[in-house]
Amino acid sequence: MAIHSKLDVDELNILLIDEDSARVAEIASALDKSRYKIQHLITSGVSLLKEVDAIQPDIIVIDVESPNRDILESLHTISSYNPKPIVMFSSQEDTEMINLSVESGVSAYVVGDTDPSRVKPILDAAVARFKQYQQLKNELDDTKNQLESREIIDRAKRLLMQKKSMNEDEAFHSMRKAAMDNGQKMEDVAKTVISFLNNSHSKSLL
Amino acid sequence: MISLEKSDINLGFIPLTDSAPLIIAKELGFFEQWGLKVSLRKQNSWATLRDKLHAGIIDAAQMLAPMPIASSLGLGTPVTEVITPMVLSLNGNAITFSEQLYLEILAQNKLSSITFPMAAYLLQSVVKNRLELGKDKLKFANVFPYSCHNYQLRDWLKSAGLSDNDVDLVIVPPVNMVGFLESGEIDGFCVGGPWNAKAVRSGIGITALTSYDIWQDSPEKVLGLLGAFYQKHPNTVLAICAALKQACAWLEDVPNRFEAARIMSHAEYLDANLDVIAPSLLGSCLTHRDMAPRSVPTYNQFSAFNKEAVNQPELVRGEWLIKQMQEAGQLINCEIPPRFISRVFRPDIYQQMQMLLANTNQNKLIRKAQ
Repeated sequence: MAIHSKLDVDELNILLIDEDSARVAEIASALDKSRYKIQHLITSGVSLLKEVDAIQPDIIVIDVESPNRDILESLHTISSYNPKPIVMFSSQEDTEMINLSVESGVSAYVVGDTDPSRVKPILDAAVARFKQYQQLKNELDDTKNQLESREIIDRAKRLLMQKKSMNEDEAFHSMRKAAMDNGQKMEDVAKTVISFLNNSHSKSLL
Repeated sequence: MISLEKSDINLGFIPLTDSAPLIIAKELGFFEQWGLKVSLRKQNSWATLRDKLHAGIIDAAQMLAPMPIASSLGLGTPVTEVITPMVLSLNGNAITFSEQLYLEILAQNKLSSITFPMAAYLLQSVVKNRLELGKDKLKFANVFPYSCHNYQLRDWLKSAGLSDNDVDLVIVPPVNMVGFLESGEIDGFCVGGPWNAKAVRSGIGITALTSYDIWQDSPEKVLGLLGAFYQKHPNTVLAICAALKQACAWLEDVPNRFEAARIMSHAEYLDANLDVIAPSLLGSCLTHRDMAPRSVPTYNQFSAFNKEAVNQPELVRGEWLIKQMQEAGQLINCEIPPRFISRVFRPDIYQQMQMLLANTNQNKLIRKAQ
C-alpha cells in the first residue's frame, strides 16, 4: 500500500510536540540531512487535532509528561483516523518500563532519553515496529473477516435446510447461483437469506 | 492490623479538587496508620497516568470512573485488566462558558439574565444563528475521551436535542482550560475543580451548571489498580482502601473540608489559591464575577453518613457507565465479554475492607486525627 512504501523510502514528516525548545533544537539537529523532516512544532492548542489532520504527519513525537498527550488520546476515538506511530520521549529513567506495556499493541513507544545520536535509530525502530504491527493487525482483521463470512454462509445454509427442506448441497448451490446471477458476494447473499428467512413469512426466495 | 505484602506504594493523581481523599490520607497519616509508606505522584495527563499504571511504575491511581473499563476493554491501549475496588468521589464537575458566549446566549434569547442551573435549550438559538451566519460552531472542551465530563456534556446537550454534529467537542488538558477559554480557542468546557472557580474568579467565565445538575450522585473518580497487583498484594490493597475510606469519612465534615483546601493549595499538590479550591468543597458553586455563588451542597462528595453506597463500586454503576460509553459511540466494534463489569468493579474487595475497618478498632484513631 502507498503508506507502507512511503515509510520505507520517502521523506517522513514529523510532528514534534514539545515545550522544551532546547530539546526541539537538539532533535532537529540530530535529524538534519536524514529522511525525517520536522514539519511543525506545536507547543499546545485545541487546534492540535486539526493540524494533525492537515499535516498528515508520518510520525508524532511528544514528551510523555506533556499534558497534550490527552489531546492525542482522542485520536483513537475518531473512526476515520489513520493510525500513526507516536514516539514518546521522556527524561525520567523509570519510563523505560512503559515501553514494555505499549510496544505490544498501540502505536506508541517510549524512549528513555533524547541523546541526539540515538534519535534517528529510535525513529527508525518505531517506524519499523509500527509497520510490522499494522501488517499483523491487517492480517488479523482479514482472518477475522474470512471467519465471519464463513459463519454467515453456514448460518444461511442451515436456515435454508431447516425452513426450505433443502439438503446441504442444494442450499449451497442455490446461494452460489444467486450470487453468480446477481453478481453478488456469497456473504451478501447469505445475509439476505438470513434476514429474509428470519423476518418474513414469505415462501418465495431462491 | 493486617500484614502487608508491600508497604512502599506509589499512588498517581492529577491535581484536582477531588484528589482530596488521596492527599488527606497522606497528610493526616491514615496511610501510615496501616503501615503504608505512600508516595503521591503528580501526573500531567490521564493517558500517561494510565500507561504508568499499566507498566507498574505507579501501583494504584486516582482515575476517571470510566478509565478502568476502557483499559480492561483495550480502548486506546492494549487490553489491560484494571480493577476498581472503591469509588473516591461523586459529582465535582461543572460546565463553564466564556463571557462572550454568555453575552451571545442572552442576546439570542432576548434575556437580561439566566437562571441556574442553565437549561441547554438556551444554546439552540446560538447554534442556529451561527449556522445561518456561516460562523464557526461552538467549541466545547472536556478532559478525556473516557471521562464522565465527556458523557455529561453530551447528555446535557442531548436534553436540548443537540449533539456533536451541532457543536465541536474537543479534548483539552485541565491546566489549559482557563487559558483557552480566555483566548477564545474554546467557548466552554466541562471540567473538575478548581478550574471552574478559577475561570469565574478571573472574570472570564460563567459556570452555568454543575455535574450534579446533570447526573445526581454519579461516581466521578475511582481508585484504579491492576488486577494482577491485587492478586499479588490483596492485603496491601485492603489497607490502601481502608486509609482512603478513612480520609473520605474525614472529608464528610464541612469544617474539615476547609482544612483540606488549605493543605491542597500547597505547591506539591494543586498549587492553586485557596479561594478557588475551597468553594466547591464547601458546597458553593461560584457562578460569575458579578453574581452570587450558588449553593450546591454535594458539589464534591466523598462520603455520607447515611449513604454507605457513596464509595461502593456497585455493579449497576459500572453498567451505567458502559451505557454512557455506548451512547458516545465508543463501543462500536467492541464486544463486552459476559460478566465483564464484575471483573472491573469489585464491591467484594470493598466489603472486605469495610469488615477490616470494623474489626480494627480504627474509630479512635479517626477521632484523634480530627
